[in-house]
Amino acid sequence: MRLTSVLILLPLLTACGPAETKPQSTRGVIGVSLLTLDNPFFKVIGDSLSAEAAKNGFDTLVVSGDKDVAKQGNQIKDFIVRDVAAIVLSPCDSKSIVPVIREANAAGIPVLTVDIPCHEAGVSLVTQIATDNLGGGREAGRAMIEALGGRGGKVAILHLKQVESCQLRVKGFREVIEAHNAGGGPAIEVVAELESGGAKDLGYKAAEDTLQAHPDLRGIFAINDPAALGARAALEKAGRQDQVVIIGFDGQPEGRQAIREGRLYADPVQFPDKMGVQAVQSILSWSRGLPVPDQILIPTELYRQADAARDPSLTSP
Amino acid sequence: MLMVLAALAALFSLLTLREQPAEGEAAVSQLAAAARGGQTAVIAMRSADDDVALADALDARWRAAGVKVAARVNGDPAAVRATLAKLQAEGVGVDVIAASPQSARWLVLEERSSTFPTLANSNLMQPLSRRWPDFLKADNLLNIANQISVIAILAVGMTLVILTGGIDLSVGSLLALAAVGSTWLVREVFGGPGAGALGMTTAGLLAILLCGGVGACNGLMVTRFGIPPFIVTLAVMLVASGLAFTLAEGQSVYQVPDAFVWLGRGTGPLGLPNAVLLTGGLFVTAHLLLAHTRLGRHVYAVGGNREAALISGVPVQRVLGFAYTASGLLAGLGGVVMASQLKSGSPTYGGMYELYVIAAVVVGGASLRGGRGTMAGTLTGALIIAVIQNGMNLTNVESYTQKVVLGLVILGAVLADRLRRC
Repeated sequence: MRLTSVLILLPLLTACGPAETKPQSTRGVIGVSLLTLDNPFFKVIGDSLSAEAAKNGFDTLVVSGDKDVAKQGNQIKDFIVRDVAAIVLSPCDSKSIVPVIREANAAGIPVLTVDIPCHEAGVSLVTQIATDNLGGGREAGRAMIEALGGRGGKVAILHLKQVESCQLRVKGFREVIEAHNAGGGPAIEVVAELESGGAKDLGYKAAEDTLQAHPDLRGIFAINDPAALGARAALEKAGRQDQVVIIGFDGQPEGRQAIREGRLYADPVQFPDKMGVQAVQSILSWSRGLPVPDQILIPTELYRQADAARDPSLTSP
Repeated sequence: MLMVLAALAALFSLLTLREQPAEGEAAVSQLAAAARGGQTAVIAMRSADDDVALADALDARWRAAGVKVAARVNGDPAAVRATLAKLQAEGVGVDVIAASPQSARWLVLEERSSTFPTLANSNLMQPLSRRWPDFLKADNLLNIANQISVIAILAVGMTLVILTGGIDLSVGSLLALAAVGSTWLVREVFGGPGAGALGMTTAGLLAILLCGGVGACNGLMVTRFGIPPFIVTLAVMLVASGLAFTLAEGQSVYQVPDAFVWLGRGTGPLGLPNAVLLTGGLFVTAHLLLAHTRLGRHVYAVGGNREAALISGVPVQRVLGFAYTASGLLAGLGGVVMASQLKSGSPTYGGMYELYVIAAVVVGGASLRGGRGTMAGTLTGALIIAVIQNGMNLTNVESYTQKVVLGLVILGAVLADRLRRC
């Protein structure tokens, strides 16, 4: 019966091992470990990176860290054993990942971050590619002022506190709101800053609780689209969708569709596809021995209903 | 189960077979033969240790043979570019450029004839290759052992609990609590990055004892109050996770000395990592305990038939208490090892670990009804899971598919075991 076990396992595994059918490319493999692949944003980064890499003679291996830094550490150690040509990662925890990046540094493999930076001492990174989150947060703040139509009121923030990019978004948002309040006129008061996990289910719960605590809530700024859409679902359930405006962040297809349908007011949109392309271009520049800036910030653009109406990738409501 | 492990290892060896560069003396000889006396050569390699060693040996060999080494770089492509630019400016002609297998892929070397026309006639040489699986590289095997050490440590405790017919869902959260607890103590009490060995050891032990205490509470709830282990440990899982998040304020705690990584990343005798030695020691101890002591026989007796054990005078409550306490202590130890490996403690550590640990124990042949299972089986089970995960990472299996395969393999392994026993 021992043979049975082997017979069960073999086809199962061979079916999933596409490695040997791919031609070995000349420039090696780029190992990519992203925060998660549940979020389409990272999927777009992975896909655009793979496409750009293929154009330039690299193979890619894209894996998901599943927000688990220990798992991501193991993935990167596996990359090092495979002797990949470069490692691209979005750290699941920018502090805990340091020792692993140093291992890659010691092995002489170039490392760069996308979306989530790692500003710790002792690591050497080719470059850090990220959205201009502070600028994006400011855009979100301006969008909130615009959405409230100069009337002010109570707003809540759905946060993802442990992630630095989200801290920057909230910082930018608060800056603009404070500047607005200092300039006189009806004040916008940030009454709550709740943890949303950056996910729909938790965003839903957080928004529901906020509505209980602040029945006169006028606006919500969510640090990403899933949290914003979760909040929208809570508003719809409570029948308060016309009272509260939501500003999201990201501009994922689902978020853009929601903006088109008027369910979200606006999003500062990010460009994950540009990040993937930029990552490969940076690796090429590094490999040519050309200078690469320490940090490459990709600006956001505010995306409102009017932009959504012109967006060819969306279906009509 | 050993057969499954062997089959997996063989399979991944086959799938990861590829051209590997020659190493050591073979590489030096190959490269040294590429230039004759009187020719001019350049060495362009990375700053990694093995490249430096290769460059050193080659440099010495060439100088002895009368080859003129015009420049030697151990650095990044920018350093190579600067050196080549300097050689071109000085009008030095180069016959041979020696590269390591990795630096040979750099575009600065590949495109040298267009960027540096005077180098157009130089030959780029790199060590030739032999066929060997990535999977079987010594580095990778150590990697697997290191990666599985935390899960394996937890699995020792889980095996004890499962042998008594119980289950412990709290181990993943206890791991996080111990990781945060130990790093927090180092930061708050023992002086942060300036902490000494004694302080770090005390912090680690206190964190482990805390988890042991929580494990003892689990045991008490199960024995004194007769609450099903599933419920008790589910509740404690939430409590411990919440405490870890509170203690760490949702951030990772990283203000620890460099020496904090000794347990997780230091190496002991024979170049084996300390974490692997520790895990091995724990398995041997636990195996001896189960197979050769009265307590071990009692554990089996309680899981096999609790009524019969009680009637024949086995102190059932104490045995259960021991199993849950041991599981708590080992989860704590696992947390300290992980904190040391990652040089920080974060409350997000250990997510879903309870399930991987239970999977390792069950794949290892233990019965969830209790009374059947061995430490050797658990170790095999843990290795199977580690080999599958590592093998899939090495063979470009996409992450969604990885989950499917891992689930199916766990199912397949248990199914195969069931068929064998029928």
